[in-house]
Amino acid sequence: MRRRSLAVIGTALVLGAAAAGCGNGSGSGGDSDKPIVVGSTLSLTGAFAATGQIHKIAGEEFVDRLNANGGLLGRKVEWKVVDDQSDQAKVSQLYERLISQDKVDLILGPYATPNILSAMAVAQRHGYVMPQHSAVLAPQLTYECQFPAWSISPTPNSFIPNQLFDAVASLPTPPKRIAVLTSQSGSAAFVSDGFGDDKSGTLSIAKERGLDVVADIHYPPTTTDWAPIAAQVRDADPDLVIDNGLGVDAANILQAMAQLDYRPKQMFGLFPAPGPLLALGDEAEGMLSVSMFEPNKPTLDKLGPAATEITADFTKRAEAAKLPYTVFETQAAASWNAWEILTDAVKESGGTDQRKMCDTLHQKGADTTFSGHLTFDPKVQNFWPTTQTIKQIQNGDWVTVWPADRAAAQLEGPRS
Amino acid sequence: MIRRGGIGLLAAFLILAALGAFSDQLGLSSFYLILLGSICFWIAQATSWNILSGYSGYFSFGQAAYVGVGAYTTAVLSGRHGVDYFLTVPLAGLLCGLLALGVGAVAFRLGSLRGEIFALLTLAVPFILAAFARINRSIDGGQGTTVPIPDVPDAFGGLPQFQYLLALLVAAVAVAAAYAVQHSRMGSALAAIRDAEDVAEVMGVATFRYKMLAMLLSGVIGGVAGSVFALQIGFVTVESVFGLTIPLFVIVMGVLGGRTHWLGPVIGAVLIVTLQDRLSSYGLDAWNSIILGGVLALLVAVAPDGLYARLRARPLVALGALVVVSGGLAVLNVWGDILDWLVVGMLVASLLAIVLGSRLVGARLPFGRRPAADVAAAEVAPDQAASAEAVLAEAVHAEAVHAEAVPAGPGTGADSGPAPAGDADDAEEAAAADGAGEADRLGPVLIECRQVARYFGGVHALEDVTLDIREGELVGLVGPNGSGKTTLINLLSGAFRPTRGVIRLDGQDITRMAPHRIAHVGMARTYQIPRPFDSMTVRDNVAMAIMFGREPLALHRARPIAERHLATVALDHLADAHPADLNLHQRQLLEMARAVASNPKVLLLDEALAGLNPAEVDNAVRVVRRIHESGITIVIVEHLLRVLNQLATRLVVLDRGTCLADGEPQVVLNDPAVIRAYLGRQAHV
Amino acid sequence: MNVIQATLTGALIGGLYALMAAGLSVTWGVLRVINLAHFGLILIGAYLTFQVADSWHLDPILTLVITVPAMFVAGAAIQWLFDRLRLTEFNSLLVSFGLLIITIQVTSNIWSADFRRMSADVNPYATQSVAIGRLVFPVTTLVAFGLAALVVLASHLVLRRTFAGRAMRAIAQDRAVAGAFGVDHRRLSVLLGGIVGATAALAGMVFALSNALTPDTAYEWFGTVFAVVILGGIGEVVGTFAAGILVGVISGVVSAVWSPAAAPFVLFSAIILALLLRPQGLFAAGGVR
Repeated sequence: MRRRSLAVIGTALVLGAAAAGCGNGSGSGGDSDKPIVVGSTLSLTGAFAATGQIHKIAGEEFVDRLNANGGLLGRKVEWKVVDDQSDQAKVSQLYERLISQDKVDLILGPYATPNILSAMAVAQRHGYVMPQHSAVLAPQLTYECQFPAWSISPTPNSFIPNQLFDAVASLPTPPKRIAVLTSQSGSAAFVSDGFGDDKSGTLSIAKERGLDVVADIHYPPTTTDWAPIAAQVRDADPDLVIDNGLGVDAANILQAMAQLDYRPKQMFGLFPAPGPLLALGDEAEGMLSVSMFEPNKPTLDKLGPAATEITADFTKRAEAAKLPYTVFETQAAASWNAWEILTDAVKESGGTDQRKMCDTLHQKGADTTFSGHLTFDPKVQNFWPTTQTIKQIQNGDWVTVWPADRAAAQLEGPRS
Repeated sequence: MIRRGGIGLLAAFLILAALGAFSDQLGLSSFYLILLGSICFWIAQATSWNILSGYSGYFSFGQAAYVGVGAYTTAVLSGRHGVDYFLTVPLAGLLCGLLALGVGAVAFRLGSLRGEIFALLTLAVPFILAAFARINRSIDGGQGTTVPIPDVPDAFGGLPQFQYLLALLVAAVAVAAAYAVQHSRMGSALAAIRDAEDVAEVMGVATFRYKMLAMLLSGVIGGVAGSVFALQIGFVTVESVFGLTIPLFVIVMGVLGGRTHWLGPVIGAVLIVTLQDRLSSYGLDAWNSIILGGVLALLVAVAPDGLYARLRARPLVALGALVVVSGGLAVLNVWGDILDWLVVGMLVASLLAIVLGSRLVGARLPFGRRPAADVAAAEVAPDQAASAEAVLAEAVHAEAVHAEAVPAGPGTGADSGPAPAGDADDAEEAAAADGAGEADRLGPVLIECRQVARYFGGVHALEDVTLDIREGELVGLVGPNGSGKTTLINLLSGAFRPTRGVIRLDGQDITRMAPHRIAHVGMARTYQIPRPFDSMTVRDNVAMAIMFGREPLALHRARPIAERHLATVALDHLADAHPADLNLHQRQLLEMARAVASNPKVLLLDEALAGLNPAEVDNAVRVVRRIHESGITIVIVEHLLRVLNQLATRLVVLDRGTCLADGEPQVVLNDPAVIRAYLGRQAHV
Repeated sequence: MNVIQATLTGALIGGLYALMAAGLSVTWGVLRVINLAHFGLILIGAYLTFQVADSWHLDPILTLVITVPAMFVAGAAIQWLFDRLRLTEFNSLLVSFGLLIITIQVTSNIWSADFRRMSADVNPYATQSVAIGRLVFPVTTLVAFGLAALVVLASHLVLRRTFAGRAMRAIAQDRAVAGAFGVDHRRLSVLLGGIVGATAALAGMVFALSNALTPDTAYEWFGTVFAVVILGGIGEVVGTFAAGILVGVISGVVSAVWSPAAAPFVLFSAIILALLLRPQGLFAAGGVR
């Protein structure tokens, strides 16, 4: 019996080996009538899916517009997007398949920092140019042909707190006592604690600026019961609550505080999902966050009709996909930037030769609809001068409020 | 046998290794290497899980602990402290081994550990470790660690080759370990633990040691594979390695493939990983989980014993299906690529094996172990159907036949052989008279109980029992229900420990000894409700007792001896059957054969005659007497005083936990106190 | 003050844990099915509450009129399936895991993977609270606690006082013997599956009251809910309630005085200790078994 089962395995192996040897003749790019295929993964299910959806809709919209305008180099563009299930272990396998098996012509990065790091290693191995939308921590992104579509300067861990503190310092009564809540996630914790040897972050910068940190709470990304955190903040009663967290953290904390009959004087959330905060209604009024783009009327007017059209079309698509929050904002803009970096590289280098594309981007930069002309300096991991702003919920909508020259409205202080 | 399997494994490893080493020359795209590497990771993890959970039946939900600790060891040491990667791999194994031993030492020392409690205990471990890593932010800097790419010797080619070869090596070592374990004493011991742990312990299997060994192996393999995983994902965070998906998928793979065999997890891992890859490749993202969940639910529902068992029953059909379907698709070459063809082939093969292996179809085409079972059933059937007289005649007939066919007696002792069937009754009476007269010229004291007591909470099951049993006695232990008979048997065999008092066997103090060591001193027992090892044949059931007896033997040497013991109880014609195919009487005979096979000095029979019809009782009595005559001292608990009166050389009467009477059967049975306590309440005697 | 507040809110949130765990515990204890699909039922209950409340502007608590019967049917159907398949305890875990994966994916296909939260105007409860001095009791947790207490009381009475309850306890002890005494095991287990499904609707509603929903939430419940089941004793409804409160209090107090990251550490260490000292569950006395 055993001999037979071993024979089965043996045959299966030989069959696999033999067939693998001859099964690699499929498609290769270059023919002018064939579409240019762009491959990427997104987290369409699992923990990162809420944001992954936004990137999917933005990408589909971009490709449709591109093809409607004659495609790229006269060829149609096709996007092969695969679900990585928010599982970091799957990402490298999937990129490997896209590049070496499906032989896609171009790639885009996935969503969320750990996934991007996994994908970057594969792209580097194959020498592919990889624009990516959401990893902002420069020291981790060591591959020279990785191009960020969202830049918070090369050192976001000091840029974000400084920008926030600058903003609130402009208020008539600037906050003196702050509470810092930190999600222990690779995508957020560096803003509080710094990264690697660079220890500057919200906590250290607050001290430098003479602010009094009255509560410093680190919570795991899996936190479900927010009442204890809310109670601690209530007892400390700070002038400003800074939540360096993700997703629904900020909304949950606000609600937990509301349940304790407490309303923070002013609150900042690092990378919150925008929708759930708005759904909280009045409780979230005045909430602050970072932003790269908000489709506020003054901003759109400055950018021209194309931007308005893109954001309106996105909203329509998002509604059709039954997304609860359908506004084209930071995440979608980052997605758009990434696509424009990629297509610009192809256009300017005149083909899909990855080396040429990479060099062209370093030399000429790229033009984007929402962030203007971007320049890429390999010395700072291609992080371009930031266009980061601070946004605030005012009258139930997110508006850009800082810095003053790009603001669509005035920053509002705590309500009395 | 072992060599052939080893060669097969080695050949498979070499083919796969060559595939990686020469992937450039073969034109194999690096995607295949990454995919194969991922399969290897899951094979290693599923096998690590299987060595403990599949073999011993203790389901672990804590596989993420090994993956996490292994990956963190490598990521933190090489990424933050500059330790060489190759040094971190054995360290990861070591740390996980220690962790496993720690968990095992706590869990398996638990008095009343049940399977589900173990499962939940292991579920808690990754949660604790994850929280620990989050509290101590200095471990990973609070936000995950990048794993630096090690300096790969040029001989390995690029990083994908190296990663793949490393993962393959780990998987191969894991599978080889699982193979070796299954074909060693440890495998038999773990199977016995899975079937009936306390029986195995009392029979002489050092269950704690084997479970700890399995834990250790599982931990080391899991840790080393976790360390390779860190390199595969490149960036390690708490969420990516301590999550719930790893243990759940490992369990799914193990159960799907079949968890009692070393190949089971391999099959499960290959099928699940490739299927997932294909689904996502076809953009069936929204369907991926639905199909996977459906396949899992369906397969477990229709083939709960796993795919391996079904494939093994029909190896040629499965292989044929794979070759025809995959090959056919490859030749037609109208759809998909090599992976699609293979996955479709594997699915069809599995499906065929399952459908053909299901009971409806399988009954018509005898295969595998069915024939033996059918034979057993056929022999048993008339026994059950016929009237009492017919049964008696038949039993006597069968007895005579076997008595002639089988060379007399067990290997160890006397040679008087079975009494001729025709005058069994006379012989019994003679023997009984003989036994009674023998009391004075008995050997030295074998069992000494001094002031033995056992309380269960407030219930005093036994109270200060003092008892000597001498070599060569056949002691009947009687008493009303709840008088403490079975408790005494459990104390003697070591299943319980006395609350106070001392028990000696052959001069050795066994009061606080582990049951398996008591067995090695010379104690064996049977159970009132027979408890055979259900996954083994009748022959192997008996062979287990020899393998783990006082003079341990290898399985292949134990089997012939086991057959001799089966002949003694006239079960040799059922040696290939499984216990489930035996009737109650046969199972009780099997219990006795198994107990005798461990070559004990004392045999404890706990109501070995309960539930039998008169003819069967007579047959069992003859067997007991034969065992006694072979030189084994016997303590028998029995309600049928008629039988004990004939059989025993001495009766001990327990009542409410104390010794009421002790002496020759006739004397004891006429004792007024005994009649009052016992007979007065037992109307049927 | 902080600790007292943390203890109180923890105990109240424990009601939600108990609601989620009770059904799992009972099916495990009585029917010998480790039903991971229960998490899927809770998830669907939560999404249905969201959907009905949001599109019909119905008070979220009133949505129970719809969700409870729906989940009763779903729970009964699942139990009927398990009965049909005659699975062992561990295989039931695997089959129900398959069902759970399917449920999560279907949920995600219907409602998208994005966060869903009832808007403030249909769900006033989310931010309401009752204050006694400085101590505050959030309304959502009061609802959770109240419903949990109600479920426990009702099931306790049913199990003790009615024929069906006694029959269920008989099944828990010995299915064959119960069958011999004329207990129709099939029918009862389907009924019990339905009731358990109804409790999933309650738990889902309570969860949706105060949380944003994503399909993945189901996995996040695993740790806490199994902790409650074990601590309470498998099959012990009253024990589950007590364990839910205990787990809530431990998490709340540890988060408040030490760190939220430490809560799972203390909680699961406590569980291992509890398993070692009282493997039958901390509160195992009476109940179903």
